[in-house]
Amino acid sequence: MPETPAVPRTLSAPTAVAVAEPRVGRQIRGGPPQAPWGAIMVYLTPALLVYAAFTIYPVALTFYNSFHVIKPRGVEQYVGWANFVTLFTQDPTFWKAVRNTMVWATVAPTADVGTGLVLALCLYAKVPFARFFRVAWFTPVLISYVVVGILWMWIYNYDWGIANLLLRSVGLGAWVHSWIGDPRTALGALIFAHAWKWAGFNMVVCLAALFALPAEVLEAAELDNCGWLRKLVYIIIPMLRATLLNLLILAFVGKMKVFDLVWIMTRGGPLWSTETVSTYVYKRAFEWNTFDLGYPSAVAAVWFVVVLAFVIGLTWLFRQRERLEY
Amino acid sequence: MGPWFQRMLWGAALALGCVAVASAETTLTLWSHEADEAAKVAWAETAAKKFEQANPGVTVKMTWYQKEALNAALKAALRAGQGPDILYTEPDQTEYIENGFLLPLNDLINWNNVEPWAREAWTVDGKVYGLAKEAYTIELYYNKDWLKKLGVTLPPTGQFTQAQFLDVVKKAAAAGMTPIAQGVGDRPFPGAYLTHEALLKKLGKADYGKLLAGKLSWKDPRVVEVFTWVKQLVDAGAYPKSFATLKLGESHYYFHTKPGALMFPMGAFYTGRAFVPPDKGGQPENFPLGVMQFAAMDGGACNNCKSLLAGGSFSINANSKNPKLAGALLNTMATPEMGTLWLTTVLLQTGIKSDPSKVSGKYAGYFRELSERNKNAEYFMGSPRNLLKGQCAETYVQVVNTAFPGGLLPVDKALEMVNQACYKG
Repeated sequence: MPETPAVPRTLSAPTAVAVAEPRVGRQIRGGPPQAPWGAIMVYLTPALLVYAAFTIYPVALTFYNSFHVIKPRGVEQYVGWANFVTLFTQDPTFWKAVRNTMVWATVAPTADVGTGLVLALCLYAKVPFARFFRVAWFTPVLISYVVVGILWMWIYNYDWGIANLLLRSVGLGAWVHSWIGDPRTALGALIFAHAWKWAGFNMVVCLAALFALPAEVLEAAELDNCGWLRKLVYIIIPMLRATLLNLLILAFVGKMKVFDLVWIMTRGGPLWSTETVSTYVYKRAFEWNTFDLGYPSAVAAVWFVVVLAFVIGLTWLFRQRERLEY
Repeated sequence: MGPWFQRMLWGAALALGCVAVASAETTLTLWSHEADEAAKVAWAETAAKKFEQANPGVTVKMTWYQKEALNAALKAALRAGQGPDILYTEPDQTEYIENGFLLPLNDLINWNNVEPWAREAWTVDGKVYGLAKEAYTIELYYNKDWLKKLGVTLPPTGQFTQAQFLDVVKKAAAAGMTPIAQGVGDRPFPGAYLTHEALLKKLGKADYGKLLAGKLSWKDPRVVEVFTWVKQLVDAGAYPKSFATLKLGESHYYFHTKPGALMFPMGAFYTGRAFVPPDKGGQPENFPLGVMQFAAMDGGACNNCKSLLAGGSFSINANSKNPKLAGALLNTMATPEMGTLWLTTVLLQTGIKSDPSKVSGKYAGYFRELSERNKNAEYFMGSPRNLLKGQCAETYVQVVNTAFPGGLLPVDKALEMVNQACYKG
């Protein structure tokens, strides 16, 4: 017979509730329990102050600046929506930057996560020298963008870069190319270098998720004579879905803000073929020699809204799919 | 008075003394580009030492940067109302003047020691904002031996015609030489040298000025002719395949060492990198360096015109707490002795008055040839870099500097893009 909790029968109901519930706050006699706001604020205030100073304030100031022409020494002039009107109607470079960023943000996450998953599967399948490969494939994640940029500029160098040397050595001299000097190949070349850097991160996350898969499900599949490919397609990938989606969203958000590698390797050229919104904002703010921060703030504000909308949209979409499936 | 109290008094007196000594020391700060150009650093340090000896209690603290790092640091500091007392500037950085970051130097410097054109280059509305220690013309360097190998003789004027120049480029390419070493991997200007010197010769100073001011259409037939000729050069394989990614320093090495090239359009600051020992990236000993004129344009309005630019300069921060001392330091630099020291050690033209006859040794011949090539020159002060702004400047960098000479655009498309961005009608 199951044991019942030892509650004295003589206690009245309200008192019993008070005993059973955790004491989260000071209880004023006759009223509901109150949270200890003093203590809560003591713990929260430092974090809130840092968040307000380094996130909320800059974002708010960017939005404020976007309606002004901002010059140094506190000189500012209200221009209403003029910066936005110019941006949407008279700025072809912005639209090139948007196009490139969107291409990057849609193609690169798939490449990053896909490559990471394949590498993780290789390690999970215990290929020879798996321990060595795990370190080797993860190493690019630890290298700074500056080094990665310089490294890949050497690799892509027309005269002595290893990419062209390889092509020449196997008799494909006709394919030798100025990879980051040609608008047709520059963006692809940068996306490839970026994927090389981040594949290792995705590999580690996928590998952790693979090892966390319930063994009994995989064993059951094996007992049912399920082959490796079918097991991968019908069991492993569906079970990794949450991990892969999170990686894709993270990669997408990262790519929407991509700056470092582009700046180091091409500065948005040639002919704006690798210009991204972030490099364009930087150019307008610091390279155009105008010192105006209003217009670049307008670009940044628009892009902030776009990224936020995408993140909210994607999160909502994936939640909907989860509801449908489960 | 007890011993404890006495010790307290002594301590306080000592502390006050320290403060007094500290306040008597003044430190002038100077931020400059040219971190990797030892001769320029040494020149500035010589001036600083002279200044410190003449002004006891004043110390000069110099910080040397690479150019991009310097510009980023300066823009952040100046925006915040800070920065060094003296800063490296170039005349194209007019935004510093427009935003009131620079102090007028009219009364701080002895302008009798500065070349009038160098003063003019920094004059805006009657106020002078910079001391141009560095000046340069745009020159066309070449390898004398390689030209001989091609069987081509440079005319006595040192100037080929349009057709002859195209022929030389074709001959060089056919002989497996890179005709012109040039790269735009890290600079927004070298790719446009050839086009702009041709435009200057074709249009003459007045119309070329109008073109850069947006008052002359880039679809003017003369401009189209120049672009068509440059396109012929590009199509003949004038530039290296690595043009888009080759950096400025690399292009120097490309020209004089490996793999080598016949010609090299460059500012006369070429010497700053080339006239150093080969193990530091300089040209090989006995390199047969020659200077020729850019090609004469058919029907050119001014075939003896060339661009002259005031380059690296020093200016005083408008927020400096020691403007007079900073002016005194610049005055220490602006003397004929320092001008001659610049010329003989940096081996580059200067805006400070100097005595070229003092240049001797193995580079004297170079300076004689350079002087010969500039004997009858008419100078256009400035460059697209300091005259174009905003979207026009950005389009110039992407199109005229990079894509067009890189063979990525046809003439009509290139001109359409530049005209749309630059011509104000």
